Amino acid sequence: MTALRRVQRWRYSKTLLGTLIVAIYLFPVYWMAATSLKSLRDIFAVPPSLVPLPPVLEPYSQAVINNPLVIKAILNSVVISVGTLVLTLVLAAPAAYALARLRLRFTALALLILLLAQMLPTILIAGPLFVIFSQFGLVDSYAAVILADTTIITLPFAIIVLRPFFLSVPKDLEEAAMIDGASRLGAFWRVVLPLVRPGLVTVGAFAFLFAWGEFVFGLTLLTSEGLQPVTVALNKFIGQFSTRWNNLMAVSTAVAIPIVLIFAVLQRYIVGGITAGATKE
Amino acid sequence: MTQPQALENKPGGERRRTLAVEPARLGDYLYVVPALIFVVLILLYPLGYNLYISLHEMSVGNFRTGTAPFVGLEMYSEVIADPAFRHAFLISLLFTGGSLLFQFTIGFALALFFNRPFPGQGLLRAALLLAWVLPLVVTGSLFRWMLNGDYGVVNFFLQGLGVLNKNVFWLSEPDTALIGTILTNIWVGIPFNMVLLLAGLQSISPTLYEAAKIDGANAWRRFLYITLPMMRPVMLIVIMLGFIYTFRVFDLIFVMTQGGPVNATTVLPIYVYDETFEFFHFGQGAAAATLILIIPFTLALVYLWLIRREEAA
Repeated sequence: MTALRRVQRWRYSKTLLGTLIVAIYLFPVYWMAATSLKSLRDIFAVPPSLVPLPPVLEPYSQAVINNPLVIKAILNSVVISVGTLVLTLVLAAPAAYALARLRLRFTALALLILLLAQMLPTILIAGPLFVIFSQFGLVDSYAAVILADTTIITLPFAIIVLRPFFLSVPKDLEEAAMIDGASRLGAFWRVVLPLVRPGLVTVGAFAFLFAWGEFVFGLTLLTSEGLQPVTVALNKFIGQFSTRWNNLMAVSTAVAIPIVLIFAVLQRYIVGGITAGATKE
Repeated sequence: MTQPQALENKPGGERRRTLAVEPARLGDYLYVVPALIFVVLILLYPLGYNLYISLHEMSVGNFRTGTAPFVGLEMYSEVIADPAFRHAFLISLLFTGGSLLFQFTIGFALALFFNRPFPGQGLLRAALLLAWVLPLVVTGSLFRWMLNGDYGVVNFFLQGLGVLNKNVFWLSEPDTALIGTILTNIWVGIPFNMVLLLAGLQSISPTLYEAAKIDGANAWRRFLYITLPMMRPVMLIVIMLGFIYTFRVFDLIFVMTQGGPVNATTVLPIYVYDETFEFFHFGQGAAAATLILIIPFTLALVYLWLIRREEAA
């Protein structure tokens, strides 16, 4: 009996230790939020106060809510991220299905290219893309960033992650639907897609996260301030707010909040996606 | 593989049997065509175009018109001879090596810790991943503040622990800027390493450990003689992926130091950015990009080969 109790005590001391590790590790995230709730005087206190008491919302009203540039940048990011999310799903779902199901001659080659694409340093493709897009008058438009984000960042990942989901759908199901008179497209749409919904959620969540955090294409393919995503706007503020760290952390927190919310809600889809995207195939 | 045409048109039950062995028809390709068009136009074409640019003298004056003169490999020899390029290469290796060493060891330690179930394990493990999903621009601006010389919390803690006795201006001194960015990148990379290594640990059969326990092997010996050898392929893959992903880091450094002070943190991707978008040396930028791609590309092929061998085993 005492042995059992000792095991249990060990288990809970592991929980305690784990909580401590996570708390130390995530301290920077706490520090970001804490700084964003401090007054200008408090952030220059030596030694720094670890808890913002009393918390003030001034940095948010100053740097975020009453700052038309940030508000516009947030809207731009919403447009770019949602656009990327939709385009990714529309392109990736049928492509992953085809690479899982159909006997295409180039399946192996296609998967190889997609995997390599994922590892490509985005900045290296930004240069030629800038030249090509300017020849077509595409530079400085939402479309430029959405096209680049989708094709180079989210689409390869989405196809690689989605393919195993399609592989796991029994062939008999769609064959039965086709015998009942559905076309292949009909069977794909009504039978197969609903079965891979978890995969679509994973891929959709990642497409949004990636596009929201994307910086390189926003920086290089957009030249006017009115179209910039939040990441580029935040980078600009780093110079402007040089000593107003509370304001900078307020903008940073505002940029992080959608990510944290999506992560909290879809956590189990996202954790699976990290391993799948990195190692599968 | 050639199926008689007549068979395909037979109705009902006949069709069912043929479905599984039916060769791909033209219509099937329609599912991949949209994605394919995007990949060819926006990924493969620019990559090829990068090669074209690297062989031409492209400037602000002629990049829209496509009339840049052909200069052969001149851009390549210019880049290779450029001391700034060589310096950036060295910085890239230092940044990647320093980041990997600590990301990997800390990630491995955490993976071992989270390998055995305990109450609240799943939640805690997921919480660690928060750092990985945070936009790098956010992480960069946050660590700029934490590493600030006068009011940064890092100096405060290090002085409290007795490691430092005066303020260090991490990101504005050439001697410490690289350390500051590496520190930040280690923080970002730990969860990624942990998740992949944990997946590897959990695929080791528990019976191996039980057998070793019965034979009287202690925890250290079990780690040395079971965990490490069994983890070898996974460890290789994680290090390889880590190298590829760390070698290309741009956002974080750009936000934290823009490559400065005095090029102390100019890694290769920053060098390419400067050449292309600051100096508008499109040719040199493209040549450098091609040269840089060789390393991760070779590693990626090795990685694929490792994975294939892993799956065959």
